[in-house]
Parts: sequence; C-alpha cells; structure tokens
Amino acid sequence: MSCRLDPQPLEWINRSETLNFQFEGRAVQGFAGDCITSALLASGQTLLGRSFKYHRPRSVLSLANHDVNALFESAEATNIRGDVVPLQAGMNLRACHANGSLEQDKDAWLGAFSRFLPVGFYYKTFHKPKKFFPFWEKIIRQKAGLGRISTAWSVERQAKQYAFCDLLVIGAGASGLQAALTAAEAGADVVLADENPHLGGSLDYQYAQDAQAASLRDQLKQQVYQHPRIRVFSEHMVCGWYTDHYLPLVGPQGITKLRAQGVIFATGVMEQPAVFRNNDLPGVMLASAAQRLITRYAIKPGKKAVILAGNAEAYSAALDLLRAGVEIAAIVDLASSQTRGEVAEDLRHRGVKILDHSAVYEACGKKSLQAVVVAPFDGRNCDSGLTQTLDCDLLLTSVGWAPTAQLLYQAKAQLAYDTTLEQLLPVSLPSGIQVCGRVNGAFTLAQRLADAKRAAQAAVAELRGERLETDALATYRDSQAHSHPWPIVAHPKGKNFVDFDEDLQLKDLYNAAKEGFDNIELIKRFSTNGMGPSQGKHANMNGIRILAQIRGQSIDATGSTTARPMFHPVPISALAGRRFRPERCTAMHAWHLEHQAKMMEAGVWLRPEYYARPGLSREEAIFQEVEAVRKQLGLIDVSTLGKIEVLGPDAARLLDLVYTMKMSTLKIGMTRYALMVDQSGVIVDDGIVGRLAEDQFYVTATTSHADATFKTLSRLLVELGLEVRLVNRTGSLAAMNLAGRAARQLLSGITDIDLSEAAFPYLGIREGQLLGHPVRLIRVGFVGELGYEIHLSAQAALEVWNALMQAGAPAGIRPFGVEAQRVLRLEKGHIIVGQDTDGLTHPYEANMAWAVPLKSKAWFTGKASLARLQGLCQRQLIGFCLPPHYQGPIPKECHLLIEQGEIIGRITSIAPSPALGRVIGLAMVDLPWANSSKFLQVRVDGGALVEIEVCSLPFYDAEGLRQTADLTEVV
Amino acid sequence: MKLFDCPVIGRRPISEFDYFGEVRRPPVQADGSVAPDVWSDFVFNRAGAPGVLREWWYHRPTGRWYVMERDTLKDEVLRFIDIQEVRYELPA
Amino acid sequence: MPWRLLKYGLQSGHHEPRFFPESKPLKSHYDVVIIGGGGHGMACAYYLAKEHGITNVAVLEQGYIGGGNTGRNTTIVRSNYLTPEGVKFYDASVKLFEDLADDFDLNIFYSTRGHFTLAHTDSALRTMRWRAEVNKHYGIDSEVVDRQIIAQEVPYMDLDCAGHSPVMGALYHAPGAVARHDAVAWGYARGAYQRGVEIHQKTRVTAIRTQGGRVVGVDTDRGPIQCQKVISMVAGSTPRITEMLGLRTPIEIFPLQACVSEPVKPFMDTIVVSGSLHVYVSQSSRGELVMGASVDPSVLHSTRSSFDFVEGLADKMLDLFPFMSRMKVMRQWAGMSDITPDFAPIMGKTPVEGFYLDAGWGTWGFKATPISGKTMAWTVANDQMHELIQPFRYSRFADFDLVGEKGAASVGH
Repeated sequence: MSCRLDPQPLEWINRSETLNFQFEGRAVQGFAGDCITSALLASGQTLLGRSFKYHRPRSVLSLANHDVNALFESAEATNIRGDVVPLQAGMNLRACHANGSLEQDKDAWLGAFSRFLPVGFYYKTFHKPKKFFPFWEKIIRQKAGLGRISTAWSVERQAKQYAFCDLLVIGAGASGLQAALTAAEAGADVVLADENPHLGGSLDYQYAQDAQAASLRDQLKQQVYQHPRIRVFSEHMVCGWYTDHYLPLVGPQGITKLRAQGVIFATGVMEQPAVFRNNDLPGVMLASAAQRLITRYAIKPGKKAVILAGNAEAYSAALDLLRAGVEIAAIVDLASSQTRGEVAEDLRHRGVKILDHSAVYEACGKKSLQAVVVAPFDGRNCDSGLTQTLDCDLLLTSVGWAPTAQLLYQAKAQLAYDTTLEQLLPVSLPSGIQVCGRVNGAFTLAQRLADAKRAAQAAVAELRGERLETDALATYRDSQAHSHPWPIVAHPKGKNFVDFDEDLQLKDLYNAAKEGFDNIELIKRFSTNGMGPSQGKHANMNGIRILAQIRGQSIDATGSTTARPMFHPVPISALAGRRFRPERCTAMHAWHLEHQAKMMEAGVWLRPEYYARPGLSREEAIFQEVEAVRKQLGLIDVSTLGKIEVLGPDAARLLDLVYTMKMSTLKIGMTRYALMVDQSGVIVDDGIVGRLAEDQFYVTATTSHADATFKTLSRLLVELGLEVRLVNRTGSLAAMNLAGRAARQLLSGITDIDLSEAAFPYLGIREGQLLGHPVRLIRVGFVGELGYEIHLSAQAALEVWNALMQAGAPAGIRPFGVEAQRVLRLEKGHIIVGQDTDGLTHPYEANMAWAVPLKSKAWFTGKASLARLQGLCQRQLIGFCLPPHYQGPIPKECHLLIEQGEIIGRITSIAPSPALGRVIGLAMVDLPWANSSKFLQVRVDGGALVEIEVCSLPFYDAEGLRQTADLTEVV
Repeated sequence: MKLFDCPVIGRRPISEFDYFGEVRRPPVQADGSVAPDVWSDFVFNRAGAPGVLREWWYHRPTGRWYVMERDTLKDEVLRFIDIQEVRYELPA
Repeated sequence: MPWRLLKYGLQSGHHEPRFFPESKPLKSHYDVVIIGGGGHGMACAYYLAKEHGITNVAVLEQGYIGGGNTGRNTTIVRSNYLTPEGVKFYDASVKLFEDLADDFDLNIFYSTRGHFTLAHTDSALRTMRWRAEVNKHYGIDSEVVDRQIIAQEVPYMDLDCAGHSPVMGALYHAPGAVARHDAVAWGYARGAYQRGVEIHQKTRVTAIRTQGGRVVGVDTDRGPIQCQKVISMVAGSTPRITEMLGLRTPIEIFPLQACVSEPVKPFMDTIVVSGSLHVYVSQSSRGELVMGASVDPSVLHSTRSSFDFVEGLADKMLDLFPFMSRMKVMRQWAGMSDITPDFAPIMGKTPVEGFYLDAGWGTWGFKATPISGKTMAWTVANDQMHELIQPFRYSRFADFDLVGEKGAASVGH
C-alpha cells in the first residue's frame, strides 16, 4: 500500500485543501492538486482499472497521459484519464470497462482464456455459419469499447481563440525553457506551450533533488515568466501540426489556434516499458512514473522495489526511491552497471544489490506485484534455468525512451535510428522547424541547454531569412545510449505485453508476422499494436524493435507507422467551438413572421413557404394564395433573387458569352429570359437580363445560384479582359413581385413611371420613383399574371411592402409564399432549375431549344456541347395532368413512370391546380415515350400504377394574355 | 491550414478562397468551330497528375480572382500569375 | 464457442499459414499485371484466378497491401444509388459482400446495420424519394421514412438539429452495412495467393511500355516485366499511371478525410449520413465512432490532415448528437479520392489496347470492391466489357453520355 510522503520541495498538491470524492461507491479523500490516480494511490487504492481485452488488473504505467488502463467515468463524463485529470471535490467515479465492479470484474476469466484468442482470432471465427454472425457480433460489441456514454448528456461547446507568434516552443522542460528564453532575448515573439500545469518538465521529477538543477530551474522559470516576449501556455497540449505551422493548443478552457512562423520542438522523450511476463501487474511501472508520483504528489510508490535498468536514469530513480524511504531489493541491469556512472557506484557503496547482465523474467502476483523472477540476460534472451526470485511490491523499469516525435513526423521531419543512442533522432527538418533536447539526443543538462540555445538561434536566424553556420543537429548529442536496444524477454507462458491498450503479447506480434503481416503497417493493422487510445506511445517503439528482429532488418529498414493528429484525444466540445449558423433574412422578415409565415430555408436565406391562416391546413392556405393571385392580387417577397449590375462598354459582350441567348440585341428598357448552361451544356441557372442603357444591364439569378452566377460573370470578364464592372446587389436590394389583375392600378397611384401598356410593355424594365423611393420595375410573367417586380433598396422595402398591402386591401391583396409561386409557375409550365432539371439536364431536354441560338451566335459557354447534345436528346420534359375529379392516390414528385416494367422517367413537379381544377405536373420522360404517348403510368406509394395524361404546355393561359394586360383589357 | 501570400491582400488562409481548378481556355477557332474530340477533351478531361498547375482561386471577402502556380503534390504556391498572362479571346 | 477457438487453445504453437507470400524476385513475364494492391486489385486478381483460371498474374503495390484508400475509408457498404446502372452495380456488390466471409473463410465483420441518409430540405427529401423509387424498382430495400420512424430507430438524435435545418425525413436503407476494410483486402489477397497469383509489395511501377498502341510491359523500380495486359486499380494514384501512357481522363484528386473517437461502449447500431450537414457516422466493433465529411475543396495529392476538417465535423456532429460533445476525437487521417465529373467510376477497356482502367472511385470505392474485381476480371479475361460496367466506360465522356449519379452523391458514403 502506498502512502503520502512528507512534503516534497516541488509537490503539486496543496495539503491544506482536502477534496472528498467517491470511487466505486467508497468515500475517498485527496488534496487539491492531486490527479485522480494520485489521490486513489494515496488512499491505498492500487488497482485502478481493467485492461481492454482480458480485463486484467492494471494500475499506474506512466503518469504521463499514457495510462489508458486507469480510465474512469462519472455521470457526466467517461474515459477520464486518471493520470492527468485533476481531482475535483465531489467527483463520483468508477472504473471504466470493468464488468461489475473493479475488484470483482466478471470478465476477468478472459485472461485465462487468452490462449484460445490468438492474434487476429476474430478474423478466423464467428463467420460460419453466416446466420450466426449477428449473434456473435452482438457479444463482441458488448465487450467492445471502454467507457459508457450517456446519450442524455447536454451539449457543451467551448469558444476558440486565435493567437499568432514568431516561434512556438513545444515543451517547457529544461530545453524548452532555455529555447524560449534564447529566442525571446534575440527578439522573437515566443509562445511556450506545455501540457502539464507546471513548467519544468523532467527538471521537476528527474532532477528534483539535484541542487545544481534547482537553481537552474528557478532561474529559467523566473526569466521565462518575466520575459515580455514570452507567452506561457501551460496545461495546453499541442494536438497536431498542420500545414504552414498551424498548431491548435488544447487547454482546459478550449482551443487556441496558433499560427506560428516557426516551431521549436523541445518535446522530450517518452519512457518505454520493458516487455516481460506480467509486466502489466499493478506495482510495475516506468521509473519516470514513480518519480512523478514522488515529486508531484508526494506518494511513496511502494515499500520494497526492484529496478530494471537499461540506462543510467534507472540508478537516479533508485536514489530517488531511497530518499523516499523505499527499500531496494535489487537493481537488475540489462547490461553492466559499470557503464552507468557515478550514481551506480554510489548505490553500490550504499550496499544496494546490483545484478548485472540480468533481466526480469517474470513478475508475480495476483492483483498486485509480490515478487519478480530474475534471470541472466545476454542482451537477447534470459537463461530461464538460472532464475532467482526477489520479493518486492514495486518494480521500476528504466530501459529506454522513444522520442516524442509525433508532431515532428506530421511536420514532415525525417528521423533515423542512431545506434549510439539506440534512439530515433531527427536527421532532416523542414523549413521553420527546429528540435532540441532529448528528442534530439541531448541528454545531460549541459547538452540540453546548449542544444536549446543552438536551436533557438537557428530558428531566429531563419525567421530573419538567414542561416546559421553552426546549424548541425548532432552538435550536442550524447555519446552514450539511454535506451536498451532489446528490453524484451520471451516467456513460454506469455502475458508479456507490448501494447497495454490492446492487451497484445509478444507472441501476438511474432504470430502476426508469421502469417505474412510482416511489414510495419500490416503488423499494426492485423495485431492492432498502437491503435488504442494512447496511439502507440508506449507500444510502437517496442513493436518496431520486435519486427526488426523478426525480419533481421535494421530499425530504419523496418520503418515506422504514420503519426497522425491528435497527439492526445481532444474533446469534441473543444473542436466544435461556438455554434455559428449564418442566416440571411430579407427586409420583410419580421413582417412575414408577424403574419404567420411558415418560413423555409433556401440556401442561407429564410423565405416564407406560405402564410398560415387559422382554420386552414397548409394545402388550403397555399391553394388560397394561388387563387388570390389568379383572381385578385398577390405580393411575394423575392428579395433572395441574385441581383447583379453589369456596367461598361463590354457588358453586352459578357452577357452574350455567359447566357445562351443573345443579350446584345436587347432593346434598352426591355428584359429577356436568361438561361445559363455550363461548358458541358447542363442547365445551371436562369433569370432575366434587363437593359437599362447601352452599357448598363441588370441581371437576376436564382436564389441558390446567385453567388455562383456572380463568380461566373466576374471570372469570365477577368479572363477576357473585358471592360465591365459588376456590382453584386443581392443583399443591398430587396425585391417583391406584385401580381394580379389589379397590379397596374394599384401601382399607378404611387409611382411616377408611366405604366400604360404602350409605354411599359410586358418584359419591360423601367426606373423611377415609388412612394418617393428610387425603384426599378420589371414586367415579369413567371406566375402568369400581370405582374411587376419591384426592385429597390432594402431600407425602403418594408415601407413599400406595407403601403402595397394597405392599398391593395380593397382589391383583396394577399401575400403569397414560395409554395404558391411553385404552383403558379407550374400552371405556366415554367421550370425550376434544380427541381425540374437534374445534374445532366440540357436545354433540349427541358424543351428550351428556343433558348439555344446555335446559328445566330458565334459563341457562348456550352455552345459546342449543345451542338452535340441537340442530336443526342434521350429524354424530354413533358406536362401531364390527372383526370378531373380524380379520387385515387396522388403521385408525388420523384415517383417513377413505368412502361412494360421499365423505368422511363420521373415526375419532377406536381400540384393541384386551382385554375384547372385538376392535378398537373411536369415529368422528365425518356424518348420515344415523351413525344409519342398520350397516356403514361406512374407508380405511386404502395406500388399502384396511376395513369396520367400528357398535356401541352403551358397549362394555363397559353396565349399569355393575362400577363400582358389586366383583366378588363383582356375581356 | 494553408496560407497564401497574396500580392494584393497579403497572407490569407485558404479557407477564405474558393477553388476553381486549372486555368484552361476553350479550344475554339476564331470562327466558332471546334472539333468534337477536342471539345469533349476540354470539357471533361483534366491535368490530374501531381505537378505544377495554374489554378483559379476566388477570394470571397474581397471578390477578387487570383491565378496561382501551385505544386499539387507539395501544396506549395510557386508564384502568383498576372491575369494578363492567362487572357484569351473568344469568337464574337 | 466456435470450434476454431478450441483448436487455437489446444494446439501448441501457432500454425496458421501465411496470408501473403514472402518477398521474392519478379518474373520476367506475366499474363496480367495488376497495378495496385488494394481491395480492388486483390479482388481482381482473386477472380482472375478463381473464375477464369488466369494465375500468371502479378499484383504490384508501391506500399503495402490495402494501404491506400482500402485502409482509409469508413467501410460503409450500400446499394441505394440513384441511377439504374449504379443500383444494379452496387447491388451485385452487396450480394458478393454478404457471402465474402464464407467465400474467403475469413471473417470480414460484415455487419448489416441499416443506413439513414437524412434530409434537411424538401429538395433533399425529393432526391431521397427518387432514390427510394429507383431502388425499390430493382428490388432493393430502400424507403423514405418520416421523423417519427427516425426517432424510433435513432432515439438519441436531435432531429431539430438545435433549431437549424431540422431533419425532415430520411432515406432508410436496411441493407446498409459496414465491414472490416483491411480484412476484405487480406481475404482477396490470401485467396489470390493460394491460387498462384504473385503479390509484390513495395514495388513501384515507373513506366508502362507500349508498341503500336498496345501494352507490351511495365517497368518497375525492381526491374522490367513483359506483359500484354495491365490493369490500373490505384484510385488516388490513377493520374500518375494514366500520365505514363498519355491517356487523358477527367479524374482529379481531392483529399477525403475522416476521424475516429476514443472507443466507448457501443450505443449506435445504425449508420447515419447527413448530406446537408456533410457528415456521417457509424460505430465500429472496437467502439470507436467513425466519422467523415465531404472531400476537401481543392486538388491535392497528399494524405495530410487538416484541422478545419475536424473542427467542421465536430461542429456539425453536435447538431445531431449533442452528447458527443463529451467524447473525444482520437485520430484523424486522409485518403486521396479520384473524382469524376459525373460521380461514377471509369472502368474497363481504354484506347490503349491491353490497358484496363478501374478508377474514378471518388468516395465510394470500398463498397464496390467485390463487384469491381469480378467485372474487371471478366472484362480482362474476355477482352470485352462486362455488361454491368458498360455505363462506366472510358469513352462516355467523349460521347457525352454521362452517368447521372451526381444528385445522390453530395456526401456519397
């Protein structure tokens, strides 16, 4: 059982503030500053979690955010990493993934069963017979995953910040602190980021008792905090390196998106576990984990320890244990203690037992470590005939390091294996990137500080566009190894874990390779080594060593898998940020809402779909709106139309090229239907072009295509160098369409424009004043009645709208929405681009040959395609109707037309027509049926076939009399 | 996120731009004629292999078009092209 | 307990045969060279050997088996396409998938989950109905469902999308499935290898040699090979191969990104896609949420990740699944999508005699793996286009006879 030590000089805990919390239903106490794991250890709870596959007891491994077997969950969150998440008062925690309770995990039998579950077993079982797989899958899914989520959790979103700097220094250990300081002193604006809440890195846990380091630490920290050009982001994890030095810093309050000019990686190294039987037992941990427990949380990690040594750091750790009052049973050195320096000598003099050329063959214990079996080790294998057993409750492994190079790899740095240091080291760096410290092979404090200064100077020089003479990466690297090349011991009974996340044993990797998965990517994918939540931070390096050994290759020839973001998992609440959904509202938006408009989304715009009326269904309300336009007067807000001014001497030329029809022949004061196709001849937009002067045009586009049309126009004029100026007035102008027999009469009293048929004919466009506001009036026919589109500034629009509604009241004016307009235009046989057309529809299919002047125009976008398509027409848009008083099921849009069991077309639009008293529609129908059949069949919901009658278009007012004059003139 | 060092507006992130693909010109004769296979090649086919492409980019906030030469393998902009260089004429 | 687990437990040692051959030298001649050792290439090799007795075949893979888009996609299998040609093709693929585990004697974790494509606008709903009608016509289980049914099946989804663009309905496709993507490639590779096909990893094709307009061989970084038939099945690398022959195609390469969450206990059994929000999600048998979006907006021959992708995805995902805000994204990655203008593949014979193309797979290549392999093998063996791939022929662009799949594929997963 562990316990709290006397106060440590650098401890993170605040002993005056006790925090009460619950764990597995038991009341526990910790201190402010504890992480969950440290508080539990301090309370005597050494069993912290269960492993993923075999539900084996697990505890501390690294205390560095790699301990994915010590995961906890509460009512509010899951997969909480106990080794780094701060303890909070009132937490009510339980272990993730334990089936039943942590102590009595009902799935613990799986461990004994592991010989039945070799690597990749699930690929070879459960699939025969096929019908049983869903049964097995259900069981597999029950065992899958780690923590439980609650789908009732409310949404959390954290706002994001942006930051900019010259240099980002990642990692605030000795190297990072020094690099930040040197760079800032040279004039750079520096951000220093570290995932820990306190600066110092290994200075604080590996050098806690070192007097020389103490003064260095104080000095560096003080200078860094005081420097005006250094911003410190502690408790911020850099989750990834993205193009052009874009590095998100993930902190407790959310993400700061940092754009740097350059980055110095002082990311250090990650301690790597040794592989031997039962290396996962609670009580077996990395030496650096024990050092973190002692220095940060004042926790005595055990009573009696064995230390497995593959480097000099092991001996320093042993010294730290002695200071913490831990008895040392033995130091087991994979090689020779003679090479480990003064500390080893010191310990020998103190009488500490040191076993050279030995390894831990096996750890023993049920739920926690009780003894280790040690055997001679020749650098590859143990001699299992010469074992000895040492009683202990703590086993520290200090056998080597892997560079924290995930972000470096993302930045496209290249690393190669260095056989002096037995470590992967950077060999080439992309522009703007520097490395220093242990990730670069500088291990002693002196080396680290010198390397940090070098890197900072080189980084600052690069910012200035210079290059330093002494910019050699290897200048300050250590000359002796800090990692053992093979900290791996085979055992016939296995349970020697390579990946603790995934419960992968040594034999699993051998067997995977044996089955042909013998390159680094395939072995990962087949065995899942490194695919768990720690993303291989403790598994990849050993995995590479093992595969290299299997293949008889070098580490470099073996390669490594690709490191991808995130460095540690990042909460979706932080990634999502604040919610921003832009919506565009027209000037009449509030009016629409006041009048019970049911709004619909049209791209980013909101438009009235229809205006609800008490006692009327949606269909009845729409029907009435249609009738009002036909019989009285209607007003629709069409402000969402794209509205573009096209000005200049080449304006007509530009429009001639962009639209199928000739616009240069348009008379001043007139408009023309404007059909736009792309280069392949497919219809992409329609609208109108109006000519206001020789060199001045006004163009409208559909709501959803308005931006694209503007871009099409603007790019072509740039490409051709035309003298044209475009003004996109979609937002600044409002527009409304006043339609119905009384439209002219209503307007005549409030505008100075002469509205008489002779002065302002159908398709005319006029400028003038309306209620004192400058307006453009356009005689349009989209809905098939006498109608004026009124275009005016958005500021004046509501006033005019209100005036029209008021003045129109005696004539029975009614606002109408998009749905009524769809019916009205359908009665007129007008298409809606995107509804009656699809991604391949060309004008010939849409009955618009009249809009394609192949002969009279030398060129327009898509012309050569249309010349081809003219003879390749395979389908045609037709009008159809159902019989009068039809009572059967009404077809819907996109129901299919069927002929002799084959699909021959689909309905694109359909609606009951008040004017005709029948259901009418448009359908895209294959040839020859489109022009040879009088009756066709539609398959409706439920599969019944409904007969439709092909009709000529338009359905309503074929002569177009109603849009050229008001009713009295027609009659 | 990729940054572009624009000649007019300085360094801007790629998210402010819309991409419009490689710079091409319709292969049409002065009289408006074009061979069918030449035309369909123009309409559909693209220079898809990695390499240096001249591409259209539209900067939304300023409504301005740019042509850049970009290495589509390395994602590096080599230079901005004066629009004059990509001008062409169409039959009138 | 399956008997095979007993066998593993009771035997001593690990006696499983190799899936793939050891590396060995290239022969000087093969009847067929397949460029690309992903799912499609391996499937084609498998069917060439199994169904056509063509075994003097080399699959050349520049990286490792299944390391391209096969190992990067989000493993969704479905057949609810819009066009009759698409529906027939993918339906044949789904049927092959369903029997693949038996065929291979390898569990590919083919798991039928049901697939919802959400509609947030009336125009999206129209397209859903169109797809459903075409699907049903060809006997495919596909139905437009209303909010009530969605709420029953995915009760934890916020159909109101936090008040913006609420879900109006969905296309429900019961056969929608996920599978273990790697295992599909491995199964085909093992089957091909067992039948005599050679698989050469880390072997890069540097040139394709032709004489008089027909293929006579390929050059590789491990030496030249003579062959009369070459099939390119390299998805995102297609333009690099076609460029060797001067063959113009409409294919452009856009990165497609995806990410996974940390594993949590499975709670989500269905696959949910939202075209309007441009996101889709399913939960794997490991407990990870597998999430993706639409392709990146500009051409790039790179598998780099971008932060904007994962930010945008997270933002949109929370509209549908607010509780996911407390989950974490663990890893993101990217593949290179070979996109065509009509969102349909380019398959079969090309103007270069002896050169066959299987490309233009965009964001839907995985689900076509079995049928592509099968129809391409047939086409190569008979030197004649298989009828299922006739609509996807190379010449359709020159003929202005495109496939109308675009309407269904805004997020085509």
